[in-house]
Amino acid sequence: MNQHRVAACLCCAGAIVALASHLATAQGRQAAPAASSRDFSGFWELSVDSRHVPDANLLPTVTRAMRTARAKKDAYAVRWCNLLGMPFVMDSGRPLDIRQGRTAVIIVPENASGPRYLYLDRSTHVGEDIFDPTTYGDSIARWEGDTLVADTTGFHPDRGIATIPGGGYRTATSHLVERYRLLQDGNMLSVVFTWTDPKMFRTPHTYEFRYYRLPVDYEPRTWLPCDPFDEGRAQFLEGKAAGAATR
Amino acid sequence: MSVAKLGVALLLIAGMIPAASALAQARAASASDVHIEGHWVRKDVGGAGSFGGLADQIPPAQLTAEAAAGRGRGGGPGRAAGPAPSGRPNAVGVPYIVVERPCANPGRGNGALLINPDSGGIHIIENTDEVILAGERGGVRRIYLDGRPHPNLAGRTPTLAGHSTGRYEGNALLVDTIGLTPGNVQGGGLRTPETHLRERIEAAADGKTMTITYTWDDAKIYQKPHTYSYVFDRLPAGSYAFEDWCDAGDPIEKQSIVPPPQKP
Repeated sequence: MNQHRVAACLCCAGAIVALASHLATAQGRQAAPAASSRDFSGFWELSVDSRHVPDANLLPTVTRAMRTARAKKDAYAVRWCNLLGMPFVMDSGRPLDIRQGRTAVIIVPENASGPRYLYLDRSTHVGEDIFDPTTYGDSIARWEGDTLVADTTGFHPDRGIATIPGGGYRTATSHLVERYRLLQDGNMLSVVFTWTDPKMFRTPHTYEFRYYRLPVDYEPRTWLPCDPFDEGRAQFLEGKAAGAATR
Repeated sequence: MSVAKLGVALLLIAGMIPAASALAQARAASASDVHIEGHWVRKDVGGAGSFGGLADQIPPAQLTAEAAAGRGRGGGPGRAAGPAPSGRPNAVGVPYIVVERPCANPGRGNGALLINPDSGGIHIIENTDEVILAGERGGVRRIYLDGRPHPNLAGRTPTLAGHSTGRYEGNALLVDTIGLTPGNVQGGGLRTPETHLRERIEAAADGKTMTITYTWDDAKIYQKPHTYSYVFDRLPAGSYAFEDWCDAGDPIEKQSIVPPPQKP
């Protein structure tokens, strides 16, 4: 074999290796499972076996009277069609539409309140001096591997449904960390909630919801309007409707 | 071609592919730099200075004779107004009641306000299969991008958001909507569930403004498609959606002002 043939073979081999390497890289990019595991966009719903909620370890200063007063505020929020906020919206009884964009993840409940945003484009909370507390608070999120970690502060102490699954309720000093992660080949979404609050919990209160993915062609049901001036509805909620006491 | 030349050619091609791929990626990145995702607030382009002035800038719809004859029917309940003014000032401490049913806007939660956003901010999230437009003053619209067709309207309850499908043309999002509740349209127009609303949603090259061009198309209503545009300013990076709190159970929500004590 002369030198020309050797050089030609080396060139061909190099070209084939380069092409193969590029194709492998390109295929790797297209098929990268990490990309899909970091986007849990879709419609999600809870089922009967979706909740693992231990009892919260409340501070002794949180009295029964305080919890009863809070329950009345929750009922008021439902009665008057208020925005309901966190944590209620994550278990509102209807599916959630969750969409991830460049700057935020939006969580849209099908039947209540407005959308919730988890902001991906900033790493610090809006300053307390300019942020008016809200029923959702201010949520910022970042990816840690295949887990989206959302951090929320700035809760309004009174508005909406504030009762937390497992016990207690959100206050102005509540801090929520959520960890979102896909399970079962992307067909299940695990959200682990951890609440801390020096005025409410003796130890961090953690519980988990596991949402089932709905078919891709799912479309939300027509929104059911909430009419705070529907007297029949109000009487029903307040236990004054005919027949309410006999059932 | 000799084996050597073939090898050299293959090597050159192999070297060019990553370069071309990088160029394509750069173009894609450049295109994605101009996007509609973000926070927006409507801009008073013509300096109208008032909501009425803004409305006057919208060209009048050219209605068919049949639609013009039926004008005035429908339009939804809206917010119930308060009692008619007496013409005399209220006594000190007696509030003016301007609305009987506060927070009862029927558009809340279903997108009516987002067809033509008001002074509240709007927030757009772009995802592969769906774009969501959400308004601070209530309402969420979903625009499906996965190629699904519109549903059959027979037996479907019209909604204030309708059913929207979309596709991208360059950086512009083209949206088609049907299934809206009957009602009025800016510029004296009308809509029915069968009316098509076409929207072109596009950010400017610098990304700082966005234009939504609305075209209402229905041969039964319009002599020609009814078109107008809204322009929006992008809010600064790090902006966030305000929570539009309104408590219908709070009597204050009904009131405008409470006359204070006057100096003798």
